[in-house]
Amino acid sequence: MENKVNHEDIINISGLEVVFDGRIVIRDFSLHLGQGEKLLLTGPSGSGKSTLLLCLMGFIRPVKGAIYIDGQRLGDDNIWQLRQNIVWVAQEPDPGKGSVRDVIQRPFSYRANRDLKDNMTKLGEYLRRFRLNKELLDKDVSVLSGGEKQRIALITAILLQRPIILLDEPSSALDQTSKQAVMDFLVEAKGLSILAVSHDRDWAGCVDRVERIGSEDRQ
Amino acid sequence: MSEIINIGYGGLAAAYILLIIPFAIILYRKVPIFGRTMIAVVRMTVQLLFVGFYLQVVFHLNNPWLNLAWLVVMVGVADATIIRGCRMRVRQFIWPLFLALLAGTAVPVLFFVGPILRRPMLLDAQYVIPIGGMILGNCLRADIIGLKSFYDSIRDRKKAYLQSLAHGANLSEAVRPYFRDAIEASLAPTIASMTTIGLVALPGMMTGVILGGSEPVTAIQYQIAIMIAIFCGTAITVYLAILLSLKSSFDAAGVLDSDAFV
Repeated sequence: MENKVNHEDIINISGLEVVFDGRIVIRDFSLHLGQGEKLLLTGPSGSGKSTLLLCLMGFIRPVKGAIYIDGQRLGDDNIWQLRQNIVWVAQEPDPGKGSVRDVIQRPFSYRANRDLKDNMTKLGEYLRRFRLNKELLDKDVSVLSGGEKQRIALITAILLQRPIILLDEPSSALDQTSKQAVMDFLVEAKGLSILAVSHDRDWAGCVDRVERIGSEDRQ
Repeated sequence: MSEIINIGYGGLAAAYILLIIPFAIILYRKVPIFGRTMIAVVRMTVQLLFVGFYLQVVFHLNNPWLNLAWLVVMVGVADATIIRGCRMRVRQFIWPLFLALLAGTAVPVLFFVGPILRRPMLLDAQYVIPIGGMILGNCLRADIIGLKSFYDSIRDRKKAYLQSLAHGANLSEAVRPYFRDAIEASLAPTIASMTTIGLVALPGMMTGVILGGSEPVTAIQYQIAIMIAIFCGTAITVYLAILLSLKSSFDAAGVLDSDAFV
């Protein structure tokens, strides 16, 4: 299922091996993601899909192989700088403490994002788009449902305007309507490079390419 | 006010008679702490006898360098206790925590003996050792609460912590909420005791000053000054302990280094 290729690679992974608790979670895995490309990575549970995203964020160090982001090899010396190009939306995100508004605004208080504060003006538009009420902003995040947390995390990620979005099971807690809203947005998002990992085959319809991890067969 | 009465070894032996009552309860109700209690009583006796004899010498000599050495040894013991209590690796944390404890003890102690008591010798054994001990004991407790709260909450809320890094936070920004909660948790006991002090029980220092033959008003002045000194010391030590330990406990990517803990 390869609709579009020939993108200039924004992510390039080669020969990756990751060991976790003495067990090889990812073995000799290679992947590339073109600029503006949308890729779905599937694979059975425990195949290392989420671990791969954590490696791309620099949260887990592979024992072998290399990760290139925008042409630069990911390492201790440039991880903080390269992270500014990526945003990661965790499966079942933990938004921290405070009201929904606090949680969405918090990243814009970080030094790296201060020049993005104006993006908050688009918040209302995204709330509508992802079927969330504006009243939600004053609620404490602890009372949100899993689906609401997931959409709030996605909205925050979008507002940060990073060129690469990593999505970990982005629809695991969403109902069909919300899932469709998220998929529609991602289809329309031009220029964004998206790597989504999911069991949900519905995502295959809104990406350029599907890859598999944890077995030899590629589609 | 009368002078303090010397208990003497005979009187002290009488104090041990009181132990018959808790021991009888423990044995009668078969509470499985008899062995531990015996060990605790023996340890308390031996440790305090040793410290008592040693302090007699230290007080008699009243040499500022010896007094300083005593403080440094106490800080070292507190340092080791915190590292063990927080299950940290000695090599990474011994110096950061030592410096935090030393600063948290030295600043309020020297201020207490200098501007508050106006003693000509800042390292006077009669004041530096008991006041230093009280402040250090509180710093130790506050450090354990603060460090455990800080690192445990980052571990427990790992996803939220990593999410903040993914949102562009630098290390200092990412740890900010955990740092704030840890300081709150570690200062809360001192704030609570300041709030209720004198209402529930007479605090230790005030009791000591009254037993020593001073007027209650003098005892109150000492107690207020020591509470403020303890609060200042715990705030300094917890703040510095967390701040100085950051470098040893996170890897180059800002992830909590599990190898830094036992």
